[in-house]
Amino acid sequence: MRPENYQAVRLPSSNEYEIFIGPNHPGIEGNYAFKLRLDGDEVISGKADAGYLHRGFEKLMEGRLWIQNLAIVPRICVPDPVPMEVVYSLSVEAISDIEVPERGQWIRVLQMELSRVASHLFTFGGHAATTGMYTPSYWGVADRDLALDLFEELTGGRVYHIYNIPGGVRRDIPDGFLDRLGHYLDYLESRQNDYDNLLFTNQVFVKRARGIGVINKEQALEWGVTGPNLRACGLPFDVRRDDPYLIYDQLDFDIPLQDAGDALARILVRRDELFQSVRILRQIIKHLPSVKGPVRAPIPNPLAWNVPAGESYSRVESSKGELAYYTVSDGGPKPYRVHVRGPSSMHAVQVLENVAVGARIEDVAQIMFSLDACPPEVDR
Amino acid sequence: MKKIKYEDIGSILNPLKNLQFFARKPITEDLEPRPAAKIYRGFHLNDMEKCIGCSTCQKICDNAAITMVKVPHLKEDPVNGIKNLRPAIDYGRCCWCALCVDICPTGAIELSREYVHVCDGDEVDSYFILPQEKGIHGTEQEKGWTKTASNDLLARTRTDMGEMTPEARGDNFKEIVDGYTDEQAILEASRCVQCGMCHDSCPTHMHAPEYIRAIWKGNVEEAVEWMYETNPFSHVCGRVCTHRCETACSLNQTGLPQGSEPIAIRWLKRYAMDAVPHERIKEIVARKKSQEKTGKTIAIIGAGPAGLTAAFDLVKRGHDVQVFEALPKGGGMTRYGIPYYRLPDDSLERDIDVIQSMGVKIEYNTRIGEQISMAQLHTDYDAVVLAIGLQSGRSTRIPGSEHKDTRSAVELLRLIGNHDGDEAGFDIPRTAVVIGGGNVAMDIARSLARYQKQRFNQVEIIVTAIDELEKFPADKEEIKESLEEGITIIPSRGPQQVMIENDQIKGLKTWHVESVFDSDGRFAPQYDDSDEQIYPAEMVIEAIGQMAETELLGNTLTEQLEWERGRIKVAQDGSTSAPWLWSAGDCVNGPDVVHAVADGHRVAESIHACLTGNKVSDGKLNDE
Amino acid sequence: MNCDEINVWLDTLLEEINEIKVTRKSDRRVRVDVDASSLPALLELLKGKASYVHLSAISCVDWPDDEEFELVYHCWSYEAKSLLSAHTRIPRNSSEEFARYVSVYDIYKPAGFFERDIYEMFGIYFESSPFMEKFILTEWNGPPPMRKDFDAEAYVNETFNWAEYNPDWLQEITEEGGGIAIRPEDVRL
Repeated sequence: MRPENYQAVRLPSSNEYEIFIGPNHPGIEGNYAFKLRLDGDEVISGKADAGYLHRGFEKLMEGRLWIQNLAIVPRICVPDPVPMEVVYSLSVEAISDIEVPERGQWIRVLQMELSRVASHLFTFGGHAATTGMYTPSYWGVADRDLALDLFEELTGGRVYHIYNIPGGVRRDIPDGFLDRLGHYLDYLESRQNDYDNLLFTNQVFVKRARGIGVINKEQALEWGVTGPNLRACGLPFDVRRDDPYLIYDQLDFDIPLQDAGDALARILVRRDELFQSVRILRQIIKHLPSVKGPVRAPIPNPLAWNVPAGESYSRVESSKGELAYYTVSDGGPKPYRVHVRGPSSMHAVQVLENVAVGARIEDVAQIMFSLDACPPEVDR
Repeated sequence: MKKIKYEDIGSILNPLKNLQFFARKPITEDLEPRPAAKIYRGFHLNDMEKCIGCSTCQKICDNAAITMVKVPHLKEDPVNGIKNLRPAIDYGRCCWCALCVDICPTGAIELSREYVHVCDGDEVDSYFILPQEKGIHGTEQEKGWTKTASNDLLARTRTDMGEMTPEARGDNFKEIVDGYTDEQAILEASRCVQCGMCHDSCPTHMHAPEYIRAIWKGNVEEAVEWMYETNPFSHVCGRVCTHRCETACSLNQTGLPQGSEPIAIRWLKRYAMDAVPHERIKEIVARKKSQEKTGKTIAIIGAGPAGLTAAFDLVKRGHDVQVFEALPKGGGMTRYGIPYYRLPDDSLERDIDVIQSMGVKIEYNTRIGEQISMAQLHTDYDAVVLAIGLQSGRSTRIPGSEHKDTRSAVELLRLIGNHDGDEAGFDIPRTAVVIGGGNVAMDIARSLARYQKQRFNQVEIIVTAIDELEKFPADKEEIKESLEEGITIIPSRGPQQVMIENDQIKGLKTWHVESVFDSDGRFAPQYDDSDEQIYPAEMVIEAIGQMAETELLGNTLTEQLEWERGRIKVAQDGSTSAPWLWSAGDCVNGPDVVHAVADGHRVAESIHACLTGNKVSDGKLNDE
Repeated sequence: MNCDEINVWLDTLLEEINEIKVTRKSDRRVRVDVDASSLPALLELLKGKASYVHLSAISCVDWPDDEEFELVYHCWSYEAKSLLSAHTRIPRNSSEEFARYVSVYDIYKPAGFFERDIYEMFGIYFESSPFMEKFILTEWNGPPPMRKDFDAEAYVNETFNWAEYNPDWLQEITEEGGGIAIRPEDVRL
């Protein structure tokens, strides 16, 4: 239905032709299309086509009470919903000067990192699948599911947690949760060898991924690349370190780097990041019991809550990169404007369009997945 | 963590290592639904008994998934804040965010751990569900996400109001409470969930949700406008109303571990009335006055809340109203029954001034039946309203109660009300016993305590009643504050005799009360005469109820009218058996300011309909 | 260049650019209000001389009462670790199809995405931006939806029907004399 709206490309009498990848394609997280112009099997130009997941979240948010938006925001990025909740809450807290109790901050970081683990596992599987390896995607999804079990126990929901709230988190962690989280981390570490053998040092995969979709440092900065994709170009930038929020400045973690800027470098950065998250979670398990106090600062009755007039630009590091919300309040019971700046709005559009040029058709899906683009962040 | 170098290709045999998985035990998952987590957010449960139908869940629902359904067989009890509305959930819209659970004032609505529901196209109605104690398929379901103190979204604690300490207030008649500041009032108003229970429970159906919202928005003038829709005694009611609204308030919950206090609706009313300048209030109220005169005249006997409310309504509609008051000032029982520390004079004056500014004429010191006869009024006016209140106190009629120092509370309060606080108008006894457990008993005890503190620097007052302390009709605050002011309260005592020696009262003899009502629920106190005590007192004050003084009617009229248990019989609209005479207020309903106001509206409506030829059938004031 | 130097630099900038107001909100947040005509020059200086190489986002806010759009350019400096939000206002041009402003694509490449987004959501045409075309709302012919005068809820109510349910339990209650009392659309706050 959709491609018919395009004018047919008048192809010169050469080998050039045009094909669509998507909107339904296993190489994309979500519905998203990519229009390619090819010469033989080499990409001459690519054009992103978004809008299949547009639900008008930003507009919806303007019509709902501050607190009602909590149910919307996680839907903007399904594989990694926690940062959406946290950054929205952070922006509301910044405008209305609410201080989150320390225990609430630790629990938020716990979720953020567990969500990063879950999201990266998902990406490993997806990335491998675009090279024709399906076993890692089964493993990735199955191991991610164990993280979702933990989320279910913590928040009451598997995918849409709706657990963060301006002021903190909705309730405290259940008894014994940290033990079970610890067991999960043990399990993940025990799986490291399996994943390494199967994927990260697998000749078949490494040779497919190396040199694919290369971004150099200058390009990365010019195109606004962030997150693991930026760190795969050798640039050690991470919002958690550079613009710390919550209690990240009290945590000990490294920022994994690679220099090559290609698909392999990106997945290796994610692999290392996953285990850095495990390291952070271990610190939380150790430290959280000693942080006493409430998990939530009181907020006014949500039915009569006028957030004071003001604006805030809040940023967090999601599993995909820099996630920011620009929130404006006119002093009313509903947000005046919420602008969602998802990392994928760069990665899935301009970066992808540029990187795909010169690639071979069989690598396009891999490039897309290696950028870990999340189309709903583009559509919103 | 084992490092992997970018250059590391790994052995070509690496993937083969994974062949070991053939030797591992496969993981098998059942096809049966897995039990959900303990706090899972599954389908709704609703405790039909706990749910009060306030529809707060509907307001917070971000997907408009909740419809309120009227369930007729459930209890509908507006006075206690219970409606028979219950939430029905549209699972085509619900997103299981559980904000309804977090905001529910009572904790009735909860989510279960049930999460499987499958149906096809023609069973789509099964998505619309009225949650009950059992799950959506009628089976017992475990609770999932429930309300805890942590995820409760409502502010349960009332905003504190500054007030005088017992030491500071003990010897004077200054108003005890400070009133809310702007900030406090907005904070308190923000707690409201706009359920409307207060409106339904209020005798005069004040638009409390609307004026609370207006206060929250910072628009006190709009709040005042809403108040005058239904209550021209808003200064008075803002201070001394019996506030049934607060009893009915959805936030008035006892079953929650975190506690829950009702919105301070009365104090918010007081705040808004004080926040708007007096002259501005008059302007706001005057907007509603009819520009056309009807030419009808009405006489109202008694310038208390009922009489003046009726006068206010009738003047608003273009009638000519003349009020006759026997005493030198207006306000009735609110002036001559309520001490200044609860209701300062000027608040009452301001209410009366607004009413007079609308064109109500009041003639003071005019006692009907003496200066002017009822028959005269009947001839001179198109309609007459009897709003004479309850002016004389009931007596216990125990031996000694006829002594001159056995006084009735209303009589003493009237004397106090005639003076300015330093003088009482009678000799203050060094010791006194008050019989009765209602607000009047507390009023006289606390007034006397102030005088005793002034004169003798000590308080020796005993309040005693036959009820248990929990069953005292007085407000809990009144009891608490009385105790703070040094008054002794002795419950469950039956007065037997006023002890008199040499024509001087020496004390009150009481017996312990074993039970107040008999098995049929009739008032028949049983005493234990072995437990006898005598409380020393120079004065005994009876505060056990009031009666109307109906001598002014004259014999002819008294015989002409129909009576019911000592009161004039009135229809629901306040009309008596005489077609030109209406009766309203305490003399019909018993003592309560806000009831009197409601009554005033009712008779005004009835008189207006009668005089303009549209008789209302049920006599109920229509909501404007 | 560290934070202090950038502070000094911003102060000297005050003299160079007309109508500029700098508000330091916190250590890492600076708000700059600048005239629309001076904004490109400011961004050029920020990127070229002050290490603000990363354009994090361009946000647009509609202020119909002022007949203005507010554009906010969020620039991040990896060196100074500071986020500078440059606010500017442009006329809303309500009588015409588009409001107009200049593109900053030649300074910051990410601007291309945000400008196109604002173009289709708010109807602001960015001169010399290479992407002034539909992207997300390809099949939408109505007004730019993020403008405040487009009422999304009203549009939904006109375009779609609410589901009407009549399950057995509701029929029973209706026979008893009850039934639907308050519909959700009646209480939208």
